[in-house]
Amino acid sequence: MTRLAAVIAVGAASFVALAFLLLPIVAIFARTSPAHLVHQLSNPVVRDAFVVSLKTSAVAQVLIILFGTPAAYLLASRRFPGHALAVTLVELPLVLPPAVAGIGLLAAFGRFGLLGSSLHTLGVTLPFTQAAVTIAVAYVASPLYVRQAIAAFEATDPSLAAASRTLGAGPVRTFFRVVLPLARGGLIAGLALSFARGLGEFGATIMFAGSLQRVTQTLPLAIYAEFDQNFSATLAMSGVLVLVSVLLLLALRIGLTWQRSTSTTSLSLFGLSHSN
Amino acid sequence: MRLLAAVHLTVFAAASLTNVFPKIAASASYSFGGSNMLAAQIEQGAPADVFASADTKLPAQLHARGLCGTPVVFTRNALVIVVPRSNPARIHTVSDLTRRGVKVDVAAAGVPVGDYTTKVLHTLRLLTAVTKNIVSRETDVRSVLSKVALGEADAGFVYATDAKTVAGKVTLITLPGRAQPDVRYAACVVSTTRHGGAAKAFVTALLGSSAQAKLRAAGFLSRR
Repeated sequence: MTRLAAVIAVGAASFVALAFLLLPIVAIFARTSPAHLVHQLSNPVVRDAFVVSLKTSAVAQVLIILFGTPAAYLLASRRFPGHALAVTLVELPLVLPPAVAGIGLLAAFGRFGLLGSSLHTLGVTLPFTQAAVTIAVAYVASPLYVRQAIAAFEATDPSLAAASRTLGAGPVRTFFRVVLPLARGGLIAGLALSFARGLGEFGATIMFAGSLQRVTQTLPLAIYAEFDQNFSATLAMSGVLVLVSVLLLLALRIGLTWQRSTSTTSLSLFGLSHSN
Repeated sequence: MRLLAAVHLTVFAAASLTNVFPKIAASASYSFGGSNMLAAQIEQGAPADVFASADTKLPAQLHARGLCGTPVVFTRNALVIVVPRSNPARIHTVSDLTRRGVKVDVAAAGVPVGDYTTKVLHTLRLLTAVTKNIVSRETDVRSVLSKVALGEADAGFVYATDAKTVAGKVTLITLPGRAQPDVRYAACVVSTTRHGGAAKAFVTALLGSSAQAKLRAAGFLSRR
């Protein structure tokens, strides 16, 4: 009897949890039809925001890969004094409230900021530009990639890299031919997470880059701006973001499965991968 | 405002009222923001008791749809230009805003102060020239103010009362009298309120001598 009650309680709690998580997403699509969604894509505000989001996110992710991958490899393969501190600091923007990130970016890169004032004398002013959006996105999203890349590199079997070296391959060749292919699943998973976070960036962007159609108004900013003007446009933009998020989640899953099959040790991230 | 002590009112009020409303009624809970955003929230069923807007249009629209009672005009304001105290772009008149490279910050269309700004620039025949220099369209007047106070924007359009709240950080430039828009604030009791009596008393008290004195002290104009 008590066992039955426990089963019912767990079942009911699970149902509530799932329904709670899914209902807002179902509601977005319940209030917008696919035809309407497609139709809204021709709305200039929606289209411009989509382009700005895609452009700034793409540039930010390229920068994240270029700078984040070597940093993650270094942190994964070398132990040095302050290593733990460095790993913790990399993760800091992840837990920082976006509004704090926005203030920090202004204080650093604003016209009268720490670095911004020197940039300003060189003729470069960042706030209110697309570069500022990209910086905000890279700042909040990069920790997700770097953190996941560290885990992916740590999960690769060091004896394989060592074997490659004994067989005469140099460190660069070993990295590109052995380590990178072994870690690619985890790197893709990290990229998917970082892309998703970057695409949703709001607080730091509106503070540091402002909001101007065609220039700095990303999808989340446009959703906020259109909320009182054109509710159906905000539903369409939200629908687009939900679809993109589903695709990214799929990429994350595939990446993690891939990583588990290529690396020899298990990898766990936010409980998303099951330990083997 | 003894009536208000008994119930806890939720007041949705224009961002420009941020500093003065708590001085008028300290016990109420406030949600300050762009009046248009607040009106949209009320339309979506947000539990507000009173709506105080930086224009008369939004309360009238809610009233027409049966979402709030008859709006009452309780104060007025003036639109001004603010520049950072260091005035990096050397702005002295409204026409300086048309100079190449000046970073002008405004509120978005639909936000009352954003619509007043467009109206002023249209009257002065500067709309096209200044629009080229707009770097951001903010969600409420205080966001414009902070971007200028920080020195990130060279100039912004805000209310005279906003400029007073950061007096040491910005310099105020008045607009030509003929271009000055009629900025009137209207408040109404939200229809779904469960504290109708207290909400009505709040709106009535806004017209009283105590509230009016506090509004004037903050730089608002008499409701006329």
